[in-house]
Amino acid sequence: MTEYIQNPVLWALLVVILVAIALIVRQRRAARALRQEMDGLRAHYSELENQYSQSVQAAQEQAEEATKTVLKSAMRTLQGLAAEQQLVVSRLQNKYGESVILQDLLEIDHTNSQFGRRAQSIAVLCDGWLGRQRDIASVYDVVRSAQGRIRHYRRVEILSQVDFGITSRAVEPVALALAELLDNATSYSSPDTVVEINIRTVPKGICIVVDDAGVGMNDEERAKAERLLSSDRVTGVSGLGNPPQFGFAVIGVLAERFGFEVAVDSSSPYGGVRAVVLLPHDLLTGMPERKAPAASKTASKAAAEAMPGVGGPEPTLAASSTSDGLPKRRRKRPMAIVPGSASVTRSASRSGAETAAIMGAFQRGTQSGRATQADPADQTSSTRGADSEGHEYS
Amino acid sequence: MSYGDELDSESAELVRPYVITKGRGLPDEEQLSLITLVTAADDDQRRPTRLSPEEQNLLDLCGAGYLSVAEIAGHTRLPLGVVKILLSSLTESGHLVTRPPVARAALADRQILEEVLNGLRAKFG
Repeated sequence: MTEYIQNPVLWALLVVILVAIALIVRQRRAARALRQEMDGLRAHYSELENQYSQSVQAAQEQAEEATKTVLKSAMRTLQGLAAEQQLVVSRLQNKYGESVILQDLLEIDHTNSQFGRRAQSIAVLCDGWLGRQRDIASVYDVVRSAQGRIRHYRRVEILSQVDFGITSRAVEPVALALAELLDNATSYSSPDTVVEINIRTVPKGICIVVDDAGVGMNDEERAKAERLLSSDRVTGVSGLGNPPQFGFAVIGVLAERFGFEVAVDSSSPYGGVRAVVLLPHDLLTGMPERKAPAASKTASKAAAEAMPGVGGPEPTLAASSTSDGLPKRRRKRPMAIVPGSASVTRSASRSGAETAAIMGAFQRGTQSGRATQADPADQTSSTRGADSEGHEYS
Repeated sequence: MSYGDELDSESAELVRPYVITKGRGLPDEEQLSLITLVTAADDDQRRPTRLSPEEQNLLDLCGAGYLSVAEIAGHTRLPLGVVKILLSSLTESGHLVTRPPVARAALADRQILEEVLNGLRAKFG
């Protein structure tokens, strides 16, 4: 044993072992410290990453919000201008209705309507102003209003009508959504095809079916459209691509906000897309008293111009309906060429004998007119005829 | 016109006139002047359902007898040219019949008028 103890090799070995143990322990400790440090760093890093993405998102939202606000107020100005211009054009149309300028005025009106719709669509995406509140309008008129807001309105045909009105708050959104659908339908089908609109009554409300004869959508486009129409779409204006495709995004926002449904998942019998707008009952109402105030105003105005005595009873007459079962049509007071018919037309429903009397009176009137043409010497009646004609249109 | 004031207080019509005319052009002045007389065709019973409310309205108006184009326009709220376009399309489709206006009687002879005036003066003046 002592010889072993004496052996320096043993001592050296022992020292080496001790050193090795010390080293190992130190390494272990260092490794542990390193690991802890690494863990700490990792945690710190992910924390930083989280914060970074949060702040990026916040900045993005802020930017989006700022864009929206700017666009919203800009669009509001444009919408106001478009509406103002529409009024000016309407006034011009009434003023120059009998001249050839009218044709050009109608074209200006058409362009202006499209311009107004574009501004409206952008405003909708920015949660902005939709336009002035409208009166209750018939479904047919709302569809025609939508038709007027697209470029190729001549290619749209409305094949059926229903006797329903749309509540005043839903008139503008439904018209705008439908206009976007029609814009898609006419843009993605060839220029010589017709886009058909059918309006149907269904148990849940009313369906407005738009069929185009275009190329239709492939699965990818359909999925994209459905995503935009559903509630999990991208909000705002930044995700619309370039050139921006407003259509489905606008329709989606409107449908969600005003509670109607739009589906584009079926094909039309003509090969294109069939879009279906379902208006539930709470957006529907009875047929509006169609232009009743306007009609009675014009009628009584015209009557007052024609003969001041009979202006009074006209509004009640304007509210009556025709005999052929179409309640929305208003029979306007026929103009009294012969004085006798004025009193007859005051009764809302006319008997056959009365109609015959009116027709007889007209016939006598026109006969007397013809008679004076043949015989110019009969001055009293001829000048009266000329007077009444001149009076009506000047 | 007093029209302007009314329009300022309300928004423009929902259905624009070019949609009502379906983009058709104005008819010739000879075909449809202000004093052309218009009435519903005899076989008005076969009234189709595809007509727009404005066209139905015009047919209703014309149902009672001959009316001049100017009178018809006065009863609608539409610009005159728009009414003309609708009337001409209704005429083409056979719902309406037009008749050129009754010619104005020849102007009265000045001499006769003077004699009448003299006679009246002699009697009352």
